[in-house]
Amino acid sequence: MPDDHRYIDADTVTERIDRDLLLPASPPEVWEVITSDGWLAEHVELVLVPGGEARFTDRDSMRTGWVEEAAPPVGNSTGVLVFWWGPDGEPGTRVELTLAPEGEASTRLRVVESRPLEALELIGLTLPGQGGTRHGPSMLALA
Amino acid sequence: MFNALADPNRRRLLAAVAGSPATATELASDLPISRQAVVKHLSALADAGLLERERRGREVRYRMTPEPLSDAVGWMAEVGGQWDQRLAGLARTFGPSGAQRGEMPR
Repeated sequence: MPDDHRYIDADTVTERIDRDLLLPASPPEVWEVITSDGWLAEHVELVLVPGGEARFTDRDSMRTGWVEEAAPPVGNSTGVLVFWWGPDGEPGTRVELTLAPEGEASTRLRVVESRPLEALELIGLTLPGQGGTRHGPSMLALA
Repeated sequence: MFNALADPNRRRLLAAVAGSPATATELASDLPISRQAVVKHLSALADAGLLERERRGREVRYRMTPEPLSDAVGWMAEVGGQWDQRLAGLARTFGPSGAQRGEMPR
């Protein structure tokens, strides 16, 4: 079952979707499919380097964003693709796809989508610095 | 308001109260900090609009404020549903042995 019912997570306090799926294919085979047209969107343009552009076009919508990390799996190694996406002009969410080999010829694909920035905006603040100790007065200065 | 969540004990308190409304005394029994410290954290969370106080006689119960999070719940449902669809499609692509979490193929 999905793991994302705890919309307040004691460790992160971000909204977070967490899914995984075991597929009977090698990590490179899965990587090929999930980065090609048709899965993330009808048309997928990904520049697979950190900071690379990302564009996801569907028939009636488009998301844009950028690549945070792209490590294609080689052979039976683990691959990672992290990108941010969102409708144009709206705050993005972070998607982390991990392809881990499992057994001889299977891959566990894990998907985590989170929106830490959105969560901050939701509660009306810009990103704070590292702040707040248990007894620090700063935590109480919330106005 | 985010500062109100910077402290791990505070996040634990919020998570606990999200599960079910509770008094400071009940919450203190689950945390390695004093009741007094719990009350202070709860006050900060309430001041930040994340918790509400509910007074019943001599007892004060704290519960989640639904407002800031209702949007989160909607987002989770929508985006979670999209991923379910994508993953189901992927399982079909790779054949009938594709299995959801925790199940081995074949």
